[in-house]
Amino acid sequence: MQLTIERVIAFNGLDVLVARDEGLFEAEGLDLRIAVPAPEEMRSSADGTLSQPVTNQGLLVDRGEAGMFQG
Amino acid sequence: MVVCAALVVGPNSSVFTPQELAGKLVALDYGNGTAYAGLLMLEGAMAGESIVTCAATSHGGDRLAALKRGEFEATVLQEPWIAAAEKTGCRVVSTTFFHGTWVADRSVSPEAYAAFLRAVTRAVRRINADKRTYAGYYLRDFPGHPELAGLTPDDFDLNRIQLKEPSPIPEHEARWAWEWMSSWGLLEGRFDVGTQINRRVEREAHAHATVSGG
Repeated sequence: MQLTIERVIAFNGLDVLVARDEGLFEAEGLDLRIAVPAPEEMRSSADGTLSQPVTNQGLLVDRGEAGMFQG
Repeated sequence: MVVCAALVVGPNSSVFTPQELAGKLVALDYGNGTAYAGLLMLEGAMAGESIVTCAATSHGGDRLAALKRGEFEATVLQEPWIAAAEKTGCRVVSTTFFHGTWVADRSVSPEAYAAFLRAVTRAVRRINADKRTYAGYYLRDFPGHPELAGLTPDDFDLNRIQLKEPSPIPEHEARWAWEWMSSWGLLEGRFDVGTQINRRVEREAHAHATVSGG
């Protein structure tokens, strides 16, 4: 089985990173891939407003390049 | 994953409580969970008209650097930037915790999600058994960042590192989050659990995600 998720870092995905590094996904028969948008695609939240925020969350899921993201 | 968010002020700030942030500029990374945790902390401390926020970068290190330059009175940070802020004399005036929530599209099968949950559950158990060792992960994300210079895993408050084995989101929590977001104009319409949560996939995945032992 393969599953692609959007990038996480420790503050919101320490459990995922440890599971990846310690082979726990592999042990479950899961080929977990972590996808990262190209740097030129990244938008800054500083360009958003409270009612119209700018975020990169879900960008790759929207394009079908990942199946999950953490919101 | 449970995320800790903190409202932080600079070393020379006269603010010691969240109430004292009334009418003062607080930088939030709109669009990210940390920003809404910050907004919740402010909302709990003052009337809505006293909340003054501005948009800020989602990079916590850059927000911390801007705080120290005096560009705003406070900002909301997560680890490793809370530890970095405290190490350099900044002060935490409020903290809160919130759940990270996995959002999946229709391509994710219950079997794959169950395998994901089992692996994450084992990782949560390992981390909770030895948080100090795993605290180093917070530093690996930002190698060479100047705000993290001199910070070691021993500088982290382990009480801010909280992990919970994954479980389905209760409907009342999802509804509350929707309605709270709506109250700030971020969502429109009424909450409909049927369109937001695929309970069949969720139920099947969690039914196959039981992990025994470590």
